[in-house]
Amino acid sequence: MKRKLYYIFLFFLALRLPRTMTQAEIKLCSLLLQEHFGEIVEKIGVHLIRTGSQPLRVIVHDTGTSPDQVKKALCVLIQHNLVIYQVHKRGVVEYEAQCSHMLRMLRYPRYIYTTKTLYSDTGELIVEELLLNGKMTMSAVVKKVADRLTETMEDGKTMDYAEVSNTFVRLADTHFVQRCPVVPATEDSDSGPPPPAPTLVINEKDMYVVPKLNLIGKGKRRRSSDEDAAGEPKAKRPKQSTDNKEPIPDDGIYWQANLDRFHQHFRDQAIVSAVANRMDQTSSEIVRTMLRMSEITTPSSAPFTQPLSSNEIFRSLPVGYNISKQVLDQYLTLLADDPLEFVGKSGDSGGGMYVINLHKALASLATATLESVVQERFGSRCARIFRLVLQKKHLEQKQVEDFAMIPAKEAKDMLYKMLSENFISLQEIPKTPDHAPSRTFYLYTVNVLSAARMLLHRCYKSIANLIERRQFETKENKRLLEKSQRVEAIIASMQATGAEAAQLQEIEEMITAPERQQLETLKRNVNKLDASEIQVDETIFLLESYIESTMKRP
Amino acid sequence: MAEVKVKVQPPDADPVEIENRIIELCQQFPHGITDQVIQNEMPHIEAQQRAVAINRLLSMGQLDLLRSNTGLLYRIKDSQNAGKMKGSDNQEKLVYQIIEDAGNKGIWSRDIRYKSNLPLTEINKILKNLESKKLIKAVKSVAASKKKVYMLYNLQPDRSVTGGAWYSDQDFESEFVEVLNQQCFKFLQSKAETARESKQNPMIQRNSSFASSHEVWKYICELGISKVELSMEDIETILNTLIYDGKVEMTIIAAKEGTVGSVDGHMKLYRAVSPIIPPTGLVRAPCGLCPVFDDCHEGGEISPSNCIYMTEWLEF
Repeated sequence: MKRKLYYIFLFFLALRLPRTMTQAEIKLCSLLLQEHFGEIVEKIGVHLIRTGSQPLRVIVHDTGTSPDQVKKALCVLIQHNLVIYQVHKRGVVEYEAQCSHMLRMLRYPRYIYTTKTLYSDTGELIVEELLLNGKMTMSAVVKKVADRLTETMEDGKTMDYAEVSNTFVRLADTHFVQRCPVVPATEDSDSGPPPPAPTLVINEKDMYVVPKLNLIGKGKRRRSSDEDAAGEPKAKRPKQSTDNKEPIPDDGIYWQANLDRFHQHFRDQAIVSAVANRMDQTSSEIVRTMLRMSEITTPSSAPFTQPLSSNEIFRSLPVGYNISKQVLDQYLTLLADDPLEFVGKSGDSGGGMYVINLHKALASLATATLESVVQERFGSRCARIFRLVLQKKHLEQKQVEDFAMIPAKEAKDMLYKMLSENFISLQEIPKTPDHAPSRTFYLYTVNVLSAARMLLHRCYKSIANLIERRQFETKENKRLLEKSQRVEAIIASMQATGAEAAQLQEIEEMITAPERQQLETLKRNVNKLDASEIQVDETIFLLESYIESTMKRP
Repeated sequence: MAEVKVKVQPPDADPVEIENRIIELCQQFPHGITDQVIQNEMPHIEAQQRAVAINRLLSMGQLDLLRSNTGLLYRIKDSQNAGKMKGSDNQEKLVYQIIEDAGNKGIWSRDIRYKSNLPLTEINKILKNLESKKLIKAVKSVAASKKKVYMLYNLQPDRSVTGGAWYSDQDFESEFVEVLNQQCFKFLQSKAETARESKQNPMIQRNSSFASSHEVWKYICELGISKVELSMEDIETILNTLIYDGKVEMTIIAAKEGTVGSVDGHMKLYRAVSPIIPPTGLVRAPCGLCPVFDDCHEGGEISPSNCIYMTEWLEF
């Protein structure tokens, strides 16, 4: 009886735990938290990942940090959507870490760069500010971005708030930024003591509604010594902080970057470039148009987009593309017939209804990723065997040799190598009930989902390795970096006070030529490691999207 | 006068005569005669004498004993073969029969043993004997190199045993396959190139970039790189390997019976394609290709800080 109770207890305990994180993921989250937020936040964050949902005093007790620090750390994590809180029964508030959100910190550079390509520098800075600060009000964002842009402009020019606001509105219209959930306004003010933690709600319709703000102003420079022709002493410069005293009109309406929308955009990009590689530029433009038309109408996790008629597509084509209706129809037919199966025909009304098969597209991209890894790691003959087993689903040893036209010994060797690395698995089909090996069929098969998961795990560990190496390289040259920073500071201050060229030269020579070389090498290495992290993150994105899409299917 | 009991000796009671009669009958009916027919022809011979005659003919190797659904058949044996087998005994003849039945696929020694129920030592002796008389030969099977199948001396071994066009003397010709592979791919690639540059409307462009298996076969034959005659199926197996390389895709279309290259009313078309994604990000980092990935962790012998692959890669 006691045993039964014990098992029931374990079962309920297991229900409350979040998805168990692998060692590699935990390590990666710890590295990211440390880099972005520091030691204390990292300690609290990793503790929460490992132990699941916990109340405040348990965290304080287990990590041995002061309650004050824990509170501050939790504030930071909640602000960036990395930890959520829930009120459980008996009024206890528990905090839970969101590991998947933490891993998205890797992708921040890609989000920012995408916004830059779509909305130029203004958009880039808006998204950057939102990502760095977690949540901000619109007026704060606009002001900050205007100031930053003014810094970079030529003398005498400033950035108008209106322009920044326009870009912000456009970002909200295309759903790249969204409102954060807010505390609901309670109608009855005396319904008893307020709950220990508010439950935040957000109305679907309000998510992208921009408040009517009248933001008038221009960006201000941080140091207006450039504007003053005559070097007035700093004390006499008029104070700029008077603007801060005015009440902010949109207090309480916070905005955050909508990462799911970015992911949808990346997915569309991947599909369009795949079509361009397999077919030609015009086909990829047509697919891009179709995806753009489905951006708002189709939820991002749907397996198919809404059907679009050929007439609609024709009307929505970009202005520069003047192809005739018949040619468009031909392209659409070709796309629908292609073995890739990215586009399907779902009906004949309106000149032909076409859908994009999102799940199939993601599966093809994930499979192509697997094939690419097998090819680079084991060679093209191994890749041939891999693709063969992938297409034929289940094959015997002899059949593999025959179809792939590879000598038996080599084929056996390659199959076993891939088997040991878990790209291929073995399916036993016994002929007799005693499963005797001589009377059993052994079939090779590829399980794409599990191979994708295995590869994803490897990606996480790889990125953790790259980050560690980068930190190591920086630490190795710490002394040199500090020295060069000191020298730069000295030069800057001397320039400000108007030193002569000869003096500057002397200071610069404090860094010897080999040291300069070393600094160059360090910079190059760090950049290379950074770039590599972003490239591995692309693989992670494709694999994660595929796994998510497969798990969501009914 | 006392009655003399004269036993009328039938004119051809002589055993040799009986045998000759039987042989003549067999020659009259080359498909074989039953016992009934012999009895009808020579009704005055006793069954025992008939049986003796037939046994003698069988042991001399001039008659074949066959079983049909009506009973036993006796058939005249080919005189040439009869000469060959003169010196052999029954067991050898049995084994020879079994091997002959196997046709050009050959038969394994263990199967001969099962079929004839003879012990292994006997079988081996007989096989050696037959081989020395040049009646059978042993052919090494390509599937299992230790296995030897036996077949009649003058028969051509079947494709499944020797492996067909891709095997020469039991060796798989990898370079030959590779060369064919590359040639087919180049042909398809150039066809796709010309189609792309023609800049006509997309349907025509796509259709002209396809090549049927018959076209590829003709091109390869004209190239003349193959010493062995290749059939269309051979070319199709080569094109399939190109599909598994991810360089070529195939579609099947319905074609009229009369068109060149169509098999059973459909044709296979092949087209060169390029991969849908460039080499993925993971393989551009040293960790993606590292052989000691699983042993690597911070603070160990192999760690990211002292990874030699990373050092080399950073120096590029």
